[in-house]
Amino acid sequence: MKLLENKAIQIAIKNFKDKIRHWQYLFFSLLIPIMFTIMFYFMWGTVETPSGKTAFDYGFPGMIMYAVGIGTMSAAIMFANEKGSGMLGRLDTMPTGRKNMFLGALVSESLFLMLQIVIMFIIGYAILGLYFENPLALLFGFLVAVLFGISSVGLGIIIASFSKTVEIANAFSLLLFMLLIFLSGSLVPFDSPIVFFTPPYWAKQIFLQFTVMGHGLGDNLYSSSFIGTGAEIVDIPIWGGLIIVFAYTIAFIILGIIVFQKKTKF
Amino acid sequence: MSNVIFKDENQIKDDSIIIEIQDLKKHFLEKKQKVKAVDGVSLKIKKGELYSILGPNGAGKTTLVRMLTTVLTPTSGDAIIKGHSILTGKKEIVKLIGVCPQDIVIYDVLKAEENIEFVAYMHGISRKEAKEKAKILLEKFGIAGRKSWSKHFSGGMKRRLNLVMSLIFDPKILFLDEPTAGLDPQARRLVWDFIEDLKNKDITIILMTHDMVEADTLSNRVAIIDHGKIIAQGIPSELKEKYGSDNVLEITFFEQNDLNIVKNSLETISFVANWKEISRKGKQTLLISFQGGLKNLVQILSQGIIENINEVENMKFRQNSLEDVFLNLTGRKLRD
Repeated sequence: MKLLENKAIQIAIKNFKDKIRHWQYLFFSLLIPIMFTIMFYFMWGTVETPSGKTAFDYGFPGMIMYAVGIGTMSAAIMFANEKGSGMLGRLDTMPTGRKNMFLGALVSESLFLMLQIVIMFIIGYAILGLYFENPLALLFGFLVAVLFGISSVGLGIIIASFSKTVEIANAFSLLLFMLLIFLSGSLVPFDSPIVFFTPPYWAKQIFLQFTVMGHGLGDNLYSSSFIGTGAEIVDIPIWGGLIIVFAYTIAFIILGIIVFQKKTKF
Repeated sequence: MSNVIFKDENQIKDDSIIIEIQDLKKHFLEKKQKVKAVDGVSLKIKKGELYSILGPNGAGKTTLVRMLTTVLTPTSGDAIIKGHSILTGKKEIVKLIGVCPQDIVIYDVLKAEENIEFVAYMHGISRKEAKEKAKILLEKFGIAGRKSWSKHFSGGMKRRLNLVMSLIFDPKILFLDEPTAGLDPQARRLVWDFIEDLKNKDITIILMTHDMVEADTLSNRVAIIDHGKIIAQGIPSELKEKYGSDNVLEITFFEQNDLNIVKNSLETISFVANWKEISRKGKQTLLISFQGGLKNLVQILSQGIIENINEVENMKFRQNSLEDVFLNLTGRKLRD
C-alpha cells in the first residue's frame, strides 16, 4: 500500500489511465501496429529466403520497433498536454516535484510499451507463428525493445518542450518518428549509411540478429538491407550496438528533462 | 532546512501577518516592448482573513497569484509567505497553499474523485483519508455520485471540481483566482457559502476577482489593482466611504444629451459628491454619487435632472459599490 501512495507511482497510474481512456491513442499505439503486422504478414509471410525463414520473419523486429517508437508521439503529446492545459502549472503549486513527474512518466510509458511489446509478441509469435530462436533470445529482444522505447520517450519530451500546443507536438513527433523509422530501414530495408544515425536501426538490428539469426553479443551487426541477399557486415559488434542504444536512451532522457525544465520554468 | 526570512523587526513582532508582499514586480517582453504586468505591489495579509484583490481583466491579478504560488519568478521584489520567501522557499510554500486557478485545470478522462484523490496523493495524504475527504467534498459541492469522466461534466460542475481540488488537503492559505467565473447564480451562491464557511476555519484566503459584488460580500479587506499597481486598499466599507458616497443614482439615456446644464445644476446641490459620464452598452449614462437617502434623491431629480434632459431609458438608485470606488479612482468601469 505504501508503494501505491508514492507520488511518482500515483502519477504513473494517472498517466496510464489517461492513455487507455483515449481511444485515439490506443488506435495509434496498438491497432495500427497490429494492422501493419497482419498486412505485412500476408505480403511477406510466404516469401521464403535462402535461410528457409520467411521475409516477414526478418521484417517483424522492425514492426516491433515501429510499435514501440510510437512512444515518441505518446510522450510528446502527454508532456505538451500537461504544459498546455495548465496542469503542469497546477502541479508546480503542489509538493509534487518535477522529479516525480518525470519518474512517473517514465514508469507509465515503460509499462505501456511493455504491454505493446507483449501484444505484438502474442500476435507475431503465438498467433502468426513467426520464427524466433529461443525464449531467452526473445527475452533479450524484449529488453532491447523496452530500452529503445524509453529513448523514444526522451525524444518525445524534447519535442514537447519546443511545442506550443498539443497539435504541434502531435504533428512534429509523428513526422520525426516516421522519418526515423523509414530512414532506419525498420519497416522496409534501406541500404544507406544514414541508418547508422537513427536509433531504431540499432535496436531493430540487435533484436533481429538475436531473436531470428541466433547471434550473440560478440557477433558483428549487419547493414539494414535484406538479410542474406544484400546485407553487409558492419564493423561493430552487437554489444557495441547495445552501448549505442543505451547512449541514445540516456542522452535523450537527460536532454529531454533539461530542455523541458528550461522551457517551462519562468 | 527551510528558508525563514524576516526582513525587519516589525515583521517578527507582527505575528498576525501571514503574507507580506514587498515591492513585487513582474515585467514581460511582448513584441519587443516591456509590459509591466505587476509593478511594485506591496501588501500585508493577515492570518485568517479573506483578502480580495479586485481589478479588471489584465490588471495583473493572475500574474500576482502565479508569483505568490511560486510558479512565476518575479523580476524584482519578494513575498514572504508564513516566513518563507517565494524566491527560495518554494518547497515549504507549496505545502501550505491551495490554488484554484482561473482556468479549469482538471484531468478530462479522470472521474471527479480520481482528480481529487490525485491532488491528495500529491500532498502526501493516505489513500484511505483521500477517499474519505473526497467523498465529503464531492457531496458538499453536489458532484457526488457522478461516475462519468470529468470531460462529460457541465461547465459549472467542472469549475466546482476545479475548486474542490484545491481544498482536499486543508491548506493554510488558499488562492482563489476568479473561482466563480462562468458559474450560474445558484452555483455561485454555493461557492460563496462554502468560502464563508472556510473563513471560520482559520484559513487565509486570497481571492482574485473582477466581481465587485463577490469582493464586497466575502472580503475582510480589499486591494484594488489596476495596470499592475495597487491603487487602493482597505475594508470595503471604508473604501466606499473614502472614494464614494452613500448612494448612487444611475441614469441611462435613450439619446445623446448635452449634459452640461445638468452638471451645472448638480454643482449647486451641496450633498452631491461627484458625477461621472460613462458609456453603458453604448448608451450615455450619468452616475451621480450623493450623501443621504430618498429625500435627497427626489431633490436631485427635481432640481437637476428632469428639467434639463430628454427621455430616460433607465434609472437606478443603489448603494455605493466597489465598482464606484474603482470608477472614481480610475475613471473606468471594472469591466472596461
